[in-house]
Amino acid sequence: MMAKQVVVGMSGGVDSSVAAYLLKEQGYEVQCIFMKNWEDEDDEFYCSSEEDYNDALQVCDLLNLPLHSVNFSKEYRENVFKYFLAEYKSGRTPNPDVLCNKEIKFKFFMDYALKLGAEVIATGHYARINNSTDGFQLLKGIDKNKDQSYFLYLLGQKVLSKTLFPIGEMTKSEVRKIADEINLPNSGKKDSTGICFIGERDFKAFLQQYLPAKPGNIITTDGKSVGQHDGLMYYTLGQRKGIGVGGGHGTTEEPWYVVKKDLDKNNLMIGQGHNHPDLYSKNIKAGQLHWITSAPSIPFDCTAKIRYRQKDQACIINNIENGIANINFIEKQFAPTPGQSVVFFNSEQCLGGGIIETI
Amino acid sequence: MTYFDHSATTPLDAKVSALMREVAENHFGNPSSIHKYGQKACAIIEKSRRQIADALGVKSRNIIFTGGGSEANNMVLQNLLYNDKKHVITSAIEHPAILKVLKHLKRFGVSYTTVPVNKFGLVDPANIESAIRDDTALISIMYANNEVGTIQPIAKIAKIANKNNTLFHSDAVQAPGKIPLNINKMEIDLMSFSAHKFYGPKGVGFLYIRDGIRLHPMIIGGGQEKKLRAGTENTSGIAGLGLAMEMAVQNLNDAQNHLKTLENHFKNRFANIYPKAIYNGHPELHLPGLINVTIPSVTSDLLLVNLDMKGIAVSSGSACSSGTVKPSDVLRAMHISNQNNISSLRISFGKGNTIEEIDMLINALDEILKKYNRKK
Repeated sequence: MMAKQVVVGMSGGVDSSVAAYLLKEQGYEVQCIFMKNWEDEDDEFYCSSEEDYNDALQVCDLLNLPLHSVNFSKEYRENVFKYFLAEYKSGRTPNPDVLCNKEIKFKFFMDYALKLGAEVIATGHYARINNSTDGFQLLKGIDKNKDQSYFLYLLGQKVLSKTLFPIGEMTKSEVRKIADEINLPNSGKKDSTGICFIGERDFKAFLQQYLPAKPGNIITTDGKSVGQHDGLMYYTLGQRKGIGVGGGHGTTEEPWYVVKKDLDKNNLMIGQGHNHPDLYSKNIKAGQLHWITSAPSIPFDCTAKIRYRQKDQACIINNIENGIANINFIEKQFAPTPGQSVVFFNSEQCLGGGIIETI
Repeated sequence: MTYFDHSATTPLDAKVSALMREVAENHFGNPSSIHKYGQKACAIIEKSRRQIADALGVKSRNIIFTGGGSEANNMVLQNLLYNDKKHVITSAIEHPAILKVLKHLKRFGVSYTTVPVNKFGLVDPANIESAIRDDTALISIMYANNEVGTIQPIAKIAKIANKNNTLFHSDAVQAPGKIPLNINKMEIDLMSFSAHKFYGPKGVGFLYIRDGIRLHPMIIGGGQEKKLRAGTENTSGIAGLGLAMEMAVQNLNDAQNHLKTLENHFKNRFANIYPKAIYNGHPELHLPGLINVTIPSVTSDLLLVNLDMKGIAVSSGSACSSGTVKPSDVLRAMHISNQNNISSLRISFGKGNTIEEIDMLINALDEILKKYNRKK
């Protein structure tokens, strides 16, 4: 019998490298593909993906696996980046990595891999897939610190039926241990941080290339004007650092937080202290809902995360009207942020989620 | 593995490899040192220079060793910075080691005109002549194109340059071992070469500089290469380059026949399995054994990957640094549609390839084309 063919999305990082290694050990016929999803308009002298590609190349050389590369930067711009800019323009804080998974890795990349003859694809995500009587369920990764199901809630049944997450059953330290044992050249590489295409560069300068900054006033919750902001798009609800207003402006020495963006007046509203009531909310509305197996029956008790790495928060989905879910949290939530994803869980299982619309 | 990407680079010839190893292991002296170790290394370098000069029918003093073809091109173009006249005429299908350098030099006052090519990738000398301005200092046109193999009328262009008191440079890295070099029969002022394109080592090349032309060094230091290129010489690389050049010129006829046979065999057999193939480049004036073919039904990235999976190496367009395939600027300059552009392969044969290997390639292509056409 011919070995099952799998294409691994190889990023040049430790996780996807170990994923490829494990599949090879399990007897799959493994091919690796490096995806280039971003091209700077003027990258004549430096190409940020080059180092990652070189890492991927060295890993595949060591593991004796074929490596191909593919350029989805046009698709990324069209399907992820446009949305990303539109969201920022309307004062929201998008999460492009969620969309990148849905639109690029588990769509264009998957189609390409299947076209090459693969039966399944694999990535180095910390998540698991369970083929149940209800269909394919998305489960959290075993490593609770690294669990990435939050970023994968937009995947559908067809995609999950053709996907493997080889390191979902492992902890990061186990993955690193394997990387060391097989002498992966990138075993010491740091986990990637930040939005994939922006990487380590200055976010403000990056955004400025695409959206004109409109400076405006910074107003406290009691109506005092205390300074100037550089443009509302540079701030996120709940943000403390980088506002440029010291504790001295208020009644106490406590730090200031962004509590609201007033788009009409172009004002940045700030409140003092981590416990400021305007920072908290128990109710949120979420749209663009997606359910991995099936939509729940309402009212629905579950838990949710309103940001990556948050502990699961108990909540009730009270109703869903015109595609908008009304979500009631048991505990008040710190700075739910429009544009970010709320992702629903039932213990280990990721049920689906949506985009936070209003709070 | 079957290798059909000789325009990208060639394997090291066994004799060249043996010589380089011998030199590297036994003659490590610094060629600038006055003791015997240094003298021996220096003698090896001068022997290589003579081998090259003899092969090209020029004098040893006309050869300056560099770190490859790109460096030779850079050295020529960066010398414009010392000139009062700073205008260059070049073509739309030059290597990035010409076009990107010129773009970079714009900020230092260099200006340039890129003359177009026709659908065969051929430059019209009349266009060059009419682009000449009072401040034109240099005309730089490649001898043969690396992607489609079209051979440019450089003898005519050199004549035009000379008549108009302009220097003529040609990037000739694709030429050795495939077409006659005949530098002494043309009015060439400067010509760039790279050893790894003709079975020599990587990282070493040379610039031919006609008598009477004075250049400034780009790399300054210990005064090696008549003060034109500082840095302790790459003795073993230079030795390998000399032998590789000698063999390329000596074996030219046999190599041409071999490459033409392989090329014809491919075209004949491919016509049977895929009559819709379109060959890019000039039908006659092209490098033997370099095939640029458009296969409209499948994009080149899929063809490349599938061939790679079968252990067959070809290429398409220019390879980007992170290994992705982009539409080729050369094919675009030849007015080839974007659709055909991204469905084009470059297959470049070499002296080690055999008829049996070409048959393997044909069978592999047949299988891949059937796979994708069936899916449609």
